[in-house]
Amino acid sequence: MGSLALLGIVALTSLGAYLVATQRLGWHHDTLPTALGETLECIGLAAIFLACNLAVGGALVFGFRIFSGRFISVYGLNDIALVLLSLLQAMVLHSWRRSR
Amino acid sequence: MRGLRCLGLIVLLLFAIATFTPLANLINIRMAGVPHVEPSDAIVVLGRGGADSDGVLTNRSLRRLLLGVGLYHDGFAPLLVLSGSAGEVHARTTLAHGFGIPEAAILTTARARTTKEEAEEIARLLLPLGQRRILLVADPIDMPRSLALMEHSGFVVRPVPTAATGPSNPESRLGLLRDLITELAAWTYYRLTGVL
Repeated sequence: MGSLALLGIVALTSLGAYLVATQRLGWHHDTLPTALGETLECIGLAAIFLACNLAVGGALVFGFRIFSGRFISVYGLNDIALVLLSLLQAMVLHSWRRSR
Repeated sequence: MRGLRCLGLIVLLLFAIATFTPLANLINIRMAGVPHVEPSDAIVVLGRGGADSDGVLTNRSLRRLLLGVGLYHDGFAPLLVLSGSAGEVHARTTLAHGFGIPEAAILTTARARTTKEEAEEIARLLLPLGQRRILLVADPIDMPRSLALMEHSGFVVRPVPTAATGPSNPESRLGLLRDLITELAAWTYYRLTGVL
């Protein structure tokens, strides 16, 4: 399935969610820009968490190599799970900030 | 918070560009460089991805091996050097034998843990035999750093990258981007530590 098909599917479900939110749930469309802004903040926070996770992971790997004299590969950090976990961290922190 | 929003927007744009445009493929092609296939002393197939727990090579490792085997059968070099983890080298050697490459034509090394160590181990294998001109088989993304390391170890390197264009679906392009970032980090590390 090509890129355009995926984008088309996401556009359809996004439109569906927008219609449900405005027609059924009574949300105001003029609050959507605020929500998009907060989404961008969450993504930015996730990027910072990812950078921190990689930096800490790298420091641990090289520190272990130096102090133990044994080798462990840094490629263990090259895992998509770290990106998703960073996003989760960002979502938690962002939700916490909003709930204060 | 404006800074976070800007950062988020940049990340989102990068994601969109990397996933839904052929930029990652173009960078992949660029990093592959121009293949330089001509008669040489040895074909060097660097390790990549190892073997699974059932002893089956990963896709990338297999692609490299097949390219190396093809070069051998086309008569470009009398020696095939297989590098990688112990499991990877074992699986590659078994396959190479299956493809009709005689044992005397295969040299192996499974002691290296990094690309730098691979270059040093292969130099220990080949240079004492006077084998300096090599056909280097690696992925396009790995080629610049691998080539530089092999040249630094004393070889005359002729690059032979595996498929240059790379996959074109969004998930695979994201994988390419991840590999690009990893390779950039490795380059930076080697430059900072004076290896390259």
